[in-house]
Amino acid sequence: MMKIWLYIKKFLIACFSILKGFNVTFKNMFKKPVTLDYPRKKQAMKERFRGMVDLYPEDCVICYQCIKICPTAALELAHKTAEDKKKDITKFEFNAELCCFCGLCEEICPTDAIFLNKMYEVSYFDHKDMLNIDLMNNDKYKKVGGHKLEPKVVPVKEEVVPPPTPEGTKPNV
Amino acid sequence: MTPHVALLVKGLSVLGFIAVSAMFLIWLERKVSAWIQNRMGPMAAGFHGSLQPIADTIKLLLKEDIVPTGIDKMTWWLAPFFVTVPAVMAFLVMPFSAKLIVNDLNLGVLYICSITSVCVLGIFMAGWGSNNKYSLLGGMRSAAQIISYEVPLLLSVLVVVMEAGTLSMQGIVHAQHDLWFIAKPNLAVAFLIYFISSTAEVNRVPFDIPEAESELVAGYHTEYTGMKFAMFFVAEYTNMFIVSAIAATLFLGGWQGPFLPGLAWFLIKSYGMIFLMMWMRWTLPRVRMDQMMSFAWKLLTPIALLNLLISGWLLVR
Repeated sequence: MMKIWLYIKKFLIACFSILKGFNVTFKNMFKKPVTLDYPRKKQAMKERFRGMVDLYPEDCVICYQCIKICPTAALELAHKTAEDKKKDITKFEFNAELCCFCGLCEEICPTDAIFLNKMYEVSYFDHKDMLNIDLMNNDKYKKVGGHKLEPKVVPVKEEVVPPPTPEGTKPNV
Repeated sequence: MTPHVALLVKGLSVLGFIAVSAMFLIWLERKVSAWIQNRMGPMAAGFHGSLQPIADTIKLLLKEDIVPTGIDKMTWWLAPFFVTVPAVMAFLVMPFSAKLIVNDLNLGVLYICSITSVCVLGIFMAGWGSNNKYSLLGGMRSAAQIISYEVPLLLSVLVVVMEAGTLSMQGIVHAQHDLWFIAKPNLAVAFLIYFISSTAEVNRVPFDIPEAESELVAGYHTEYTGMKFAMFFVAEYTNMFIVSAIAATLFLGGWQGPFLPGLAWFLIKSYGMIFLMMWMRWTLPRVRMDQMMSFAWKLLTPIALLNLLISGWLLVR
């Protein structure tokens, strides 16, 4: 007799827990989705996100600190000195294949000229494109990430960090 | 209109309805699963992914039809038809509204129960013909499961037939003119049994062990591609609509309801039942094979028999 009561009790508990599960899934049905409608809406990157290496050429003082500290020798810099001892960058290239995104160049730079931007869509159509990226060129990251389609970028929350732009923004301090 | 033309129109409209319904259900399934899991689901094609099933259909039609080596040719080729054709044939007696029915057979319930049982043959043929151990396991499980759950299913349908005193689908709907059958306690129990066993009949979670993705890699239709796979897919969703429509007809008053036309009520009730099934899919985990069989034979069948006995007593009292 005891056994039968135990069985019935277990049965009722099982029924109750099934209904409880239905309740949970029903409530979940009306919650806001946690995912994004990706190519149309993009996640704003966090403040300390390390994307592609970027440069403000006018801020650079050609101190070669970034070249020295780079652990993978991903950066290449050359300059020429004019008669009035004014230095000019002749070549500042970034090899995205070698870069390990450690951010040391950004840390060491005395004038914050070199920095890692907020880009995260960094796939290229051609392998050669990512070998020697000319940092002096303002449009260097325009072609990246299959941007031929140019989907409309809608920022998720305007008040946080702005969405990653190919040009890159000065990092928030 | 000659009778042949009328038959052709009826057949074509049934086929059209099946195609549209299956497409809508695939979209709904993906959306419901997305909502429950706090995702967005298909969003790219059309408004909130409403054109997604059309894109899927085109993709399936254009896909290469791979024929594996070592298959049992005859069985393998025939299996999709054995699954799809009964699903289409079941629409013969489906009462969409007072007038909208292809043919109101006086043995409607018997016809629908016997014709939907043929499906298991196709599933087992697919499992056997594929020359794949997982497919064969899926097919065998499916045969065991569908045959087991047919017993409580038919016993619960029998209660309705006893109560209505007719086997015709329209007759059963008319018998519920004053009160839906689900409102009576013994028929509510029958409805519960019917719902559980019909979920098992159409191989849906929590009774989806014939196609259990994580253990059998989709079971009996592992080896099927392209259009043949699409036929299995359409048959699965059509069967889902059929069991829901039967539930709506036998227990929920069919096309009867206030204000709206009969067709609308029938579709609302059927799709409501389907929504319940989808909701259940994303709530409950899959049961084990032995748990499922013992549940059918040790619990559902005795309760269904007892329910039948009590209903008989209530009728002759």
